[in-house]
Amino acid sequence: MNRLEDELKLALRRVDPPEGFAERVLARVASKETPKASPAHWWLHAFGSVQLRWAAVCAMCVSLAVSGALYQRAADRRRGEAAKEQLMLALRITGSKLQIAEQSLKELDSSGRPER
Amino acid sequence: MRRLGAVVGLLLAAQMTATAQDLDPGGTIKKLAARASKTIDVNLDQSMLRFASAFLDPKDPDQAQAKKIIANMKGIYVHSLEFDKSGEYTEGDLSALRDALKQPEWSRIVNVRSKRDGENVEIYFKKDGEKFEGLILLATEPTEFTFVDIAGPITPEDVMRLGGHFGIPKVNIDQDSPTGKGQDK
Repeated sequence: MNRLEDELKLALRRVDPPEGFAERVLARVASKETPKASPAHWWLHAFGSVQLRWAAVCAMCVSLAVSGALYQRAADRRRGEAAKEQLMLALRITGSKLQIAEQSLKELDSSGRPER
Repeated sequence: MRRLGAVVGLLLAAQMTATAQDLDPGGTIKKLAARASKTIDVNLDQSMLRFASAFLDPKDPDQAQAKKIIANMKGIYVHSLEFDKSGEYTEGDLSALRDALKQPEWSRIVNVRSKRDGENVEIYFKKDGEKFEGLILLATEPTEFTFVDIAGPITPEDVMRLGGHFGIPKVNIDQDSPTGKGQDK
C-alpha cells in the first residue's frame, strides 16, 4: 500500500513548466483570435465594395422588371386568346342561326313562292 | 376636376352598356337563363373586341374576315340557352323582347317561322337615317333560345359578306324593303 502511495506521489508531484511555456501559450491564443475566412463567407467579402452592392441591386431590379413584363405579356396573351375564342364562338352561333334562316328562305324559293 | 372626370367616365360606361341592357327590359333573358340547362354568354364590348382583334390570325380566312367585321363594331353580345324540355319559355317571354324592338329605329328584315320543326329566326336592323347601327337576331327552337346583339355599323351587305365564313351562308337581303319579310312555313 505504501508503495502504491509512493508511486502516486511521484507521478503527481508538482513540476514547474518549462522555460517560456506561458509566453508560448499566450502567443498561440493571440494568433487564433483572427479567424481565417471560412469558405461559407467568401461571397460576403466579395460584396464588400459599394459598387458591387449597387450592381447587385440593379441586376435584381432589372431581372424583376423583365420577369414582371414577361408575366404581364403572357397574361395578356391568355386574355387575348380567350377573347378571340369568345368572338369566334359568337360569330359561329350567329352563323348557325343565319344558316337556319337561309335554309328556310331557300326552301321557300324552291317551293316557288314569289316572296322570300 | 377629378370628380367631374369620374362622373363623365361613369356616364360613358353607362352609355356603352346601355345597348345590351335596353334590349332586355325586365330581364327576360336573365329569367330564361335561370331555367336553362346550358347557357352560353358572350359579352364583348368595344375594348374587348379591339383586344381580341389583335390576336386574330390574318392568314386564317375566318379570322381575317372576323377582323374586318369587328373593325368598327361597338359590341357583340350573344346569349344562347338550351333547355332540357320544351315549354320552358313562352310566347309572352319573347313578346317582351319584341316590344323593345318595336321602336321606330328598328326594322325586322327577316322573320322565318317554321311550324314543321319549330325553328324561328327574326333579324332586326337598327337604322339612324341612312346609317345602320346594329343588328339583333332572335332565334328560337322548342328547346333553344338565342339572342344576338351586334352593336355598331353592320349592314345587310356585311351579313352577306359573311358568306362562306363561320358556317354562315350567303344571305340575300333586299335592303330596299326593310319593313319585314316575314314568312310562315
